[in-house]
Amino acid sequence: MNTIKTGLLTTLLLACLCMLQAVQAESTITIDSAWIREAPPATSVLAAYMTINNASETDQQITGMDSPDFRSAEIHRTVVEDGVAKMLPVSGLDVAAGGSISLEPGGLHVMLFDPQRPLREGDTATLVVHTASGAAISVQATVVRKTGDDAGHDHSHHHH
Amino acid sequence: MKPAQILIGVIIAALAVTAGFWAAQAILKDQAPRHDLSATRFPVARDIQPFELIDHHSAAFDQAALQQHWSFVFFGYTYCPDVCPTTLSILNGVAQRLQDVDADVRFVMVTVDPERDTPERLAEYVTYFNGDFLGVTGSDAGLTQLTRQLGILYNRVEPEDGAAGYLIDHTAGVFLFDPDGRYHAVFTPPLSVDRLAGDFRKMLQDYQ
Repeated sequence: MNTIKTGLLTTLLLACLCMLQAVQAESTITIDSAWIREAPPATSVLAAYMTINNASETDQQITGMDSPDFRSAEIHRTVVEDGVAKMLPVSGLDVAAGGSISLEPGGLHVMLFDPQRPLREGDTATLVVHTASGAAISVQATVVRKTGDDAGHDHSHHHH
Repeated sequence: MKPAQILIGVIIAALAVTAGFWAAQAILKDQAPRHDLSATRFPVARDIQPFELIDHHSAAFDQAALQQHWSFVFFGYTYCPDVCPTTLSILNGVAQRLQDVDADVRFVMVTVDPERDTPERLAEYVTYFNGDFLGVTGSDAGLTQLTRQLGILYNRVEPEDGAAGYLIDHTAGVFLFDPDGRYHAVFTPPLSVDRLAGDFRKMLQDYQ
């Protein structure tokens, strides 16, 4: 009887610990300033940008993203080699302990295929970020229209 | 030597110096050396050989379409989610910034994906960024006529899983043509409104 009780308690305790760990894993990655570039009418590919923070004391890896608002989502990196821009798929994105990674125009971005509904400036869409530890972090990304000086790249200059 | 002969000699010498000066000025028109440009400007702007494309109104876009005004030309495609919309937004910023210049300045996106980018599709795409922007497409042969002489590369990349549609690696610079329809300068990435608008003002000053 006692062994059964102990066994049960141990199982419960383990279950609790596992849940705690899952919650912890989830809470170590946070997403800031997620936005989607508004696309011209009839465009079926869009890009999302965000900052991914790792508040934990261990390195974390982002393994992928998906979204209920798009047919699919892929992490890509734009690289320019000899003046030629290429988009390379990124299978795993390492975020160092205590560090963060910025996805921004002309670099890392989430390529979003086939929006399930029209997305105009001010709308939001849900993106789900998956980590190697099994966490899924859901984030609301706002659709933003970029028209000029704010287009990207030039974060070091502010004229206004 | 008679004074009259000396006078004629002096006049001929003066004329020769003046002519030489004019000739040098004409030849060096675009050669004013500058060390404050981030763009690559050719010492002598390059002539463009014949090419035949069409714009998003289905009108001819050839060498004549590059004359009588400045043209900022970008090569991209509408299924491009990051580089192309970012560049077109920057070009719109440049257009806004250059509203006060005393020159006709136009902005063109030539597609490197004529298979998917029809004039109708390009019209919707480029005018989203700026109602005055022009989209250009055409046959593969017409596109090659222009890209080859500008040293532009583009390469179709099939997706691994076949699901997402192809992507195109492409030269991401912005090419500047002067009102003589000649290839004047090129801006290589990373691009910014500051760089393009600032350099253009300097080049415009040198050109006039």
